[in-house]
Amino acid sequence: MLSYLIFTLTLCGIYALLALSLNLIWGGVGLVNLGLAGFFAVGAYASAIATGAGAPVVIGWGAALVVGAVVGLIVTFATLRLRDDYLAIVTLGFAEVIRLVALNERWLTNGSDGLPGIKAPLKAELGLQGFSLFYLGLVTLIVLLVWFLLRRLDLSAYGRAMKAIREDQQLAAFAGKPVLRFKLQAFAVSAAIAALSGALYAHFQSYISPDHFQPLITIYIFLAVTAGGVGRPSGAVFGAYLVVIFLEATRFATEWVPGLQPVQIAALREMMIGVALILVLHLRPQGIMPERIPKAPAPSAP
Amino acid sequence: MTDHSATRRSLLAGAAALAGSAAFPRLALAQGAPIRIGTLTPLTGAGGPYGPVMVKAVKAVIDQVNAAGGVLGRKVELISEDDQTSPEAGVRAARKLIDVDKVSAILGTWASSVTTAVAPLCWESKTFLATVSGADSITALPHQGYLVRTQPTTTLQGKKFGEFAIAQGAKRVFFVSPQTPFAKSQFDNITAAVKAAGGDTASLIYDDKKPAYRTEIDEVLRFKPDAVVFGGYTPDTSVMLKDLYRADFKGTKIAFGYSVNQKLVESVPAEVVEKTYMISPSPAEGSKAYETLVKLIGVTSPDPYTTQIYDHINLVLMAIAIAGDASGTAIKDNIRKVSQAEGGARIDNAIDGLKAIAAKQAVNYDGASGPCDFTEIGDISDSKFRYEQVQGGKIALVKIA
Repeated sequence: MLSYLIFTLTLCGIYALLALSLNLIWGGVGLVNLGLAGFFAVGAYASAIATGAGAPVVIGWGAALVVGAVVGLIVTFATLRLRDDYLAIVTLGFAEVIRLVALNERWLTNGSDGLPGIKAPLKAELGLQGFSLFYLGLVTLIVLLVWFLLRRLDLSAYGRAMKAIREDQQLAAFAGKPVLRFKLQAFAVSAAIAALSGALYAHFQSYISPDHFQPLITIYIFLAVTAGGVGRPSGAVFGAYLVVIFLEATRFATEWVPGLQPVQIAALREMMIGVALILVLHLRPQGIMPERIPKAPAPSAP
Repeated sequence: MTDHSATRRSLLAGAAALAGSAAFPRLALAQGAPIRIGTLTPLTGAGGPYGPVMVKAVKAVIDQVNAAGGVLGRKVELISEDDQTSPEAGVRAARKLIDVDKVSAILGTWASSVTTAVAPLCWESKTFLATVSGADSITALPHQGYLVRTQPTTTLQGKKFGEFAIAQGAKRVFFVSPQTPFAKSQFDNITAAVKAAGGDTASLIYDDKKPAYRTEIDEVLRFKPDAVVFGGYTPDTSVMLKDLYRADFKGTKIAFGYSVNQKLVESVPAEVVEKTYMISPSPAEGSKAYETLVKLIGVTSPDPYTTQIYDHINLVLMAIAIAGDASGTAIKDNIRKVSQAEGGARIDNAIDGLKAIAAKQAVNYDGASGPCDFTEIGDISDSKFRYEQVQGGKIALVKIA
């Protein structure tokens, strides 16, 4: 049971990083990125390929960050003129392109067989249980660090400018904010965080394949950020933990429903997840921890 | 001081009595904790059509064995999880089976990517894994014996396709397939078989979501093949066959049994698919185990995966019985003693097997999917294949070999 809890909490942390990434780009500058699974995959493959070629794990993670950011920049440049739904569709397509590249470029990614035996840092030294605990600690620490930085960002002048762009791009431009630069930077940072999350996942599981990066992950993360509260890093992290724990809890909850076939139980689990999403959107569309918008300072006496 | 120890003693006695009484009702039924077996089949996602029947077969066997008194005097308990045909979800489900339910064995992982993702968890936690995935790379993993599979490898399947093409008099064989876990290995092994007979091969990987394959067919015909082998699934293969017919191809057509099936034959004009050959790993149709399975689950022609998982559960339960221990390691060390013991009694179900083991007889299980003999690395050493042909709009059996 203990190792199951450790595993689930580690996964929560990895999802929380993805949620933070989405929150930055969606809650920050208001760009809908449905290609999260693609950036997740880019990071996982970048790190797996780098460490597979002999690089230490830390270099692999660094590579994931860099490659993620670069791919993020490319995607933003390719979609400069798109907003809202159109951008969402293109990013969804981007994730699918990444999956197809991973599937077909066998020389690089080993195709649909995937990459097994990815280095798990310090596993030999720490043993199975030790490694699980170490990795949980590491992932949690990284989540805390990223959360802290993004919170700082939100409270800074930079964060306020981002949110001004989210609310009204034209107005922000009119007020002298370099909209394009903000978008590029935010997208690159967001993509890098998602890629880091992918790299952490790859070295945790030690196996990745194109099948890992189906659009379902993106949906889960949207559910997490929506439930937690768009525009607030604490909300994103909280939402991610909530979603993973909810996903796992449905396994145990369905055991209490008598007289169902396994296939019906599986369907019931999916229904519970759907119902949860509807309930959240219906009862608390602003999320459990809604964004806090600081009051405008009182006008000074003339 | 003496007083103190006396109270402690009486407390201990009381506690023991309490624990004893709690354990007693169970003792009457079956001794000790139940033996837990997990199934990790696709109940949703791309494998969704297969998983539910697979679980049903396992459940039926376990119910039967429990009714006959269980294994080692212990009840067997089934815990079913859904892998959602996704390695990410599969790993989460497997962790729950291993860490929370503490199952001895996991049966029935279907997609190769799920099996590859789950296998390390199994061997690290000393849990036994029996799978129906076909990708060659699976048994090459460092699984230390904790993994067996009943699906013939792609190497074997590719070889059969190549040899069959040669037997039909083909010299130039073309392989078309979407990108699948087995496309490359399938082609390599067809090539090996065809080149050995002095022929030549070429291949084309296509996108399986396209509505037409004119350009692909042009490329195929430029090679001037006498035989075309289809590696795809039903929807894309039916489009391929139509376009190949339009291009007036007269050579031999060979496909997988699961892609050119009854549904495809009914959905395209008869002349499009006429004379196409199908090859598939054959369940041991007509064997006693197969008949038993049909009766047990009430499905007239169970798919290969169901026959395989039926064999998994029988083998695992017998291995536990012969080891006298329900741990994954015990199953690993004893599975070959029940699957292929030399001179063992031919057994086709767990009930008879458990009786024979109790009577200290050697056991050699012959299952619903085939003889179920495993090589050192966990592949099956022999598998029958089923050769069929579409004749006059109907699927006719050519041979089982």
